Amino acid sequence: MTDRIHKSAIEVRDVSKVFGAGDSAFKALDHVSVDIRENEFFTLLGPSGCGKTTLLRMIAGFTYPTDGEIRLYGQNIAALPPFKRPVNTVFQNYALFPHMTVGENIAFGLEMLDRPKAEISARVEEMLALVKMGHLKDRKTAQISGGQQQRVALARALAPQPKVLLLDEPLSALDYKLRKDMQIELKRLQTETGITFIFVTHDQEEALTMSDRIAVMSAGKILQIGGPRDIYDRPAERFVAEFIGETNFLKADVATVADGKADVVLPGGTRVCARLAEGFVPHGKVTVVTRPEHAAIVANPDGAHLRGKLSSVVYVGTDTHFRVALESGESFCVRRQNSLEQGAAFAEGDMVGVVLETGAAQVLKD
Amino acid sequence: MNTSRHFGTALQYAFLGLAAFLSIFPFFWMLVSASNTSIDIIGGKTSFGAAFRTNVVNFFTQVDVPLVFWNSTKVAVLATVLTIVVSSLAGYGFEMFKSKARERVYSLVLLTLMIPFGALMIPLFLMMAKTGLINTHIAIMLPTIASAFIIFYFRQSTKAFPTELRDAAKVDGLKEWQIFFYIYMPVMRSTYAAAFVIVFMTNWNNYLWPLIVLQSNETKTITLVVSSLASAYYPDYGVVMIGTILATLPTLFVFFVMQRQFVQGMLGSVK
Repeated sequence: MTDRIHKSAIEVRDVSKVFGAGDSAFKALDHVSVDIRENEFFTLLGPSGCGKTTLLRMIAGFTYPTDGEIRLYGQNIAALPPFKRPVNTVFQNYALFPHMTVGENIAFGLEMLDRPKAEISARVEEMLALVKMGHLKDRKTAQISGGQQQRVALARALAPQPKVLLLDEPLSALDYKLRKDMQIELKRLQTETGITFIFVTHDQEEALTMSDRIAVMSAGKILQIGGPRDIYDRPAERFVAEFIGETNFLKADVATVADGKADVVLPGGTRVCARLAEGFVPHGKVTVVTRPEHAAIVANPDGAHLRGKLSSVVYVGTDTHFRVALESGESFCVRRQNSLEQGAAFAEGDMVGVVLETGAAQVLKD
Repeated sequence: MNTSRHFGTALQYAFLGLAAFLSIFPFFWMLVSASNTSIDIIGGKTSFGAAFRTNVVNFFTQVDVPLVFWNSTKVAVLATVLTIVVSSLAGYGFEMFKSKARERVYSLVLLTLMIPFGALMIPLFLMMAKTGLINTHIAIMLPTIASAFIIFYFRQSTKAFPTELRDAAKVDGLKEWQIFFYIYMPVMRSTYAAAFVIVFMTNWNNYLWPLIVLQSNETKTITLVVSSLASAYYPDYGVVMIGTILATLPTLFVFFVMQRQFVQGMLGSVK
């Protein structure tokens, strides 16, 4: 995959978008900049109203930036209407034309491009085969299931061979099982076609599963861009840490800083080495973040990084969640994967220690 | 508790029964009267008689039925199609295109609903007279084409039209007029069917304005002809009722053919 990613497909440069004017003005995007590489699966992740769909609609050409510019393969696309951009979109509710059959929906965009009939017919068959929907070619879109509609929407969007495919929360209307299947299917399609996918979602699991890189957005800004592991294991800001998965926040004091790492003093006085975001030099009181699965419960509190009383033990099938009330008054969650050979058994009220994995701690910017 | 519930149900049935009677009785009376002589009808006879064939023959003798029906059909169908195309374009435009003046202009359009036709009659007649359109079918159709009610109806229905469909069509390279004709119209066909039924009935039954602008027998529509039969010195009510039955049939036909679409259109074309 890495060797295929070499140049920028889309460059978003200092883009802002303001809706309305005067007192009712609302800034949907606030000086956003991002480079999306050719052939990558890039995800815009954030809660509702964070501006991710606005950014996607700008790339598609449905709305225009108030400031800044968007370049597609080096070309400023501000003046180009949607159909002149080598970009296609899969909409949240699929936007299939209900008065047309599956085949007609896929062919429609090609017909509008005045492609020869033989080419259209061959392309429709090819797309139907790609999404495994050949047997439903003559069905009306209202007569197929949500998952099948999703596949047709993908086939229709891929038919004109766009360089970039925009996907606006396309899995949100599907049930859990179908969503999981479609996640794999989407990744397969992206790999097979080699098209740049820009995927918008508020579902962190979806983003982590499929993406080559993720941009986490909040309040019209991009807070962090990175691979799934970077985003999950090394969140730079509190919002990113909170939004992606469960996280423990601990107050700590910075002792020393060197080589992109900091020695911090945790509640209880233990020192640990914590990672730092690039170029960040902390001092004084900071917040340290660790994931629950990057820590372990030990029966003997002596020598552990943290100490406290076990306040709850919850079995959730694949894992057991332990919540420890630390002596400092903070609460700390530890997640242990279950196996047939269980380790030491713990009960609520036990005094326990928490040991952090090496490199588990990260200092937040806030 | 049970007694009051039964009483409520009884009241409901009584009300619905009365409403059904009031709706159905005019049709029943129209059919009964069409089979009786004028004397029987005036005498209040409410059972079927033997004069149906005579009344039909008399009606076809007195009225040039093909011409009258051709006039009515031409006016109703053309006016309906034009009204629906123009008003749906306006409704679509008011909903889809945002501008500062949009709501003000729309309010002005809706305000015209409050002006009674009586207040417009004389200015409209003068306009038609000045443009030489008196005694033509164009004069009947022109004032009905831009219908504030149908514009309102289409704007409200367009709110349910998914903007994503419009965006998808734009990606496919459709211009706005193509989106309207190739995507909007087929998707909203139930709304169009409901509008067709309403506007066709209004145009077919239009009486007052045609009465003012149509002056020769060659241009008259069915409503005017039936009315003229009823206002004769010695009206033959049996013949009038045959005319009324014939005048009612096309609207009934249109309604029953489009009944399912009409109900869907009233509930909203887009699910």
